[in-house]
Amino acid sequence: MSILKPTHDIASSQNDEVNTISADLIISSLTNQDNRGNICAVETEVEEEEEYEEEDDNNIYINEETESGKEQVHVSHAPEERIVPPLNFCPVERFLYRSGQPSPVNFPFLLNLNLKTIIWLANEEPQDTLLEFCDAHEIELQFAAINPDGGEDDNPWDGLTEHSIINALQTIVNQDNYPLLVCCGMGRHRTGTVIGCLRRIMGWNLASVSEEYRRFTGSRGGRILVELLIEAFDTKLVRIERNTAPSWLLKALK
Amino acid sequence: MTRITNYIPPLNFSPVVSTDVSLYRSGYPMPLNYQFIKDQLNLKTIIYIGDKEPISPEYSDFLERENISYYHVYMDSCRDKDIQKGMDQVLKLVLDVDNYPILMHSNKGKHRVGVVVGIIRKLLQGWSIAGIYQEYGIFSGGLKGDADLEFITMFATDLTVRNEKIPGFAKLCLIQNSNEKKV
Repeated sequence: MSILKPTHDIASSQNDEVNTISADLIISSLTNQDNRGNICAVETEVEEEEEYEEEDDNNIYINEETESGKEQVHVSHAPEERIVPPLNFCPVERFLYRSGQPSPVNFPFLLNLNLKTIIWLANEEPQDTLLEFCDAHEIELQFAAINPDGGEDDNPWDGLTEHSIINALQTIVNQDNYPLLVCCGMGRHRTGTVIGCLRRIMGWNLASVSEEYRRFTGSRGGRILVELLIEAFDTKLVRIERNTAPSWLLKALK
Repeated sequence: MTRITNYIPPLNFSPVVSTDVSLYRSGYPMPLNYQFIKDQLNLKTIIYIGDKEPISPEYSDFLERENISYYHVYMDSCRDKDIQKGMDQVLKLVLDVDNYPILMHSNKGKHRVGVVVGIIRKLLQGWSIAGIYQEYGIFSGGLKGDADLEFITMFATDLTVRNEKIPGFAKLCLIQNSNEKKV
C-alpha cells in the first residue's frame, strides 16, 4: 500500500501558502480555493504514478490506464483489506497525528500516513518492532522524554518535565519534520500534555484544551496534574521560526 | 507574536482528515465559536446532520457573512426511514474536492456525526471496525451506541462519483476496491 509522498511537495506548497496567506485571506471569498484544491489533487495523482513504478511486487498493483484514468468511480462496500489505526489515534492538525504506541498490526496504517517523524514520549524504550519499523522506513524516531543531560522522567505516572515538553514542541513547530506522529504508551496523558501545550500556543482557551485532553483519557478520566502542567506551561519558551512553522500555526498566531 | 483573543472551538471539535483536504467534525457551533471557525478553518462547506430546524438567525448570518455553503441532512437516529438517502448525500459532498474545507456537525458531535465519520472511515479509508468503534467511543465519552455501531458495520451503498473530484485521502481505497471487484 503506498500513498502520496507528501513530504517534498507539501513542504513547498506549504511555503507558498505561507507567503500568500494574507493575500489569500483577503481575496478568497472561498471560491478561489477550488483552484487550489484541484491543483493539489492533480499533483498528488502524478506523484502516485511515479511511486508505483518503484513498488515491490507484493504490493497491490493499480492499473493506471484503466482505473485511475477512468471518469467514474463506484462506491459501495468497504475494501476487503482493512487498515487498523493505533490506539487512541486522531488527527490533530494538517499532517500532525496523535496516538498510543503503534504495534505491528498498525504498521500498514502508519505507512499510509507517510510519516517522516515519530515523537516518542514515554520514558521507556518502545517495542523493538517499532524501532525496526522506523528504521526500515526511514522514519526519524525522537525520544523527547529521555534526556541524558536534563534527567529522565523516571516514573510512568509522573508528568513530563518542562524540558521534555519543550523538546517535543520544538519538533512540532517545525514543518521540516512533517508528516508527524506524537505518541506515548496509551496516547492519553503524555501525548495529551504535549498537544494541550500546543493548543495553548495556538490560543485555545483552557476549557477547550481540557475538553480535548479528557476525550482521550478513557474511563478513569483526566489527571489534574496534567491539566495543571498545561495551564502553567509558559508558551513563550517555544521558539517558533516563521519560515519553518506549519501554516496552520502561523494562522493561529496572527 | 501576541494574540488578542482566546479561541473557543466548538464542542467535540476535531479534524477527521487533515491531509490534502481538511474535513472537520464538531457539535453545534455557537456564537462564541464563530471567531475560531472564521480565523482558523476557512470553511467552504458546513454539513449539519441533525433534527433541529430552522437554524438561528445568528448562525445563518454567520454563514452568509463567511460565504459558507450550508447543507442540512436530516437525521434523528440511524433507525430513520430515509437514513440511506441522508448518508449518501453526505458521502457525495465529502467525495467532491471542490467542497473543502468541510465541517460536519451534529448537536453534540457525538452520535450522529460519529455515525457519519464511521462510514467515511470504513468505506473511503478502509479502517478496521475495531478502530472505528474506538474512535466513536472517544467522541461519545464512552457512551455505548450499539445501534449506531451496528449501523456502521452493516452500511453499504451504491454511488457513482467523478474520479477527478475524489479527494486524495479516499482515492487509493476506492480505486483499489473497484479494481478488486473486476478481478
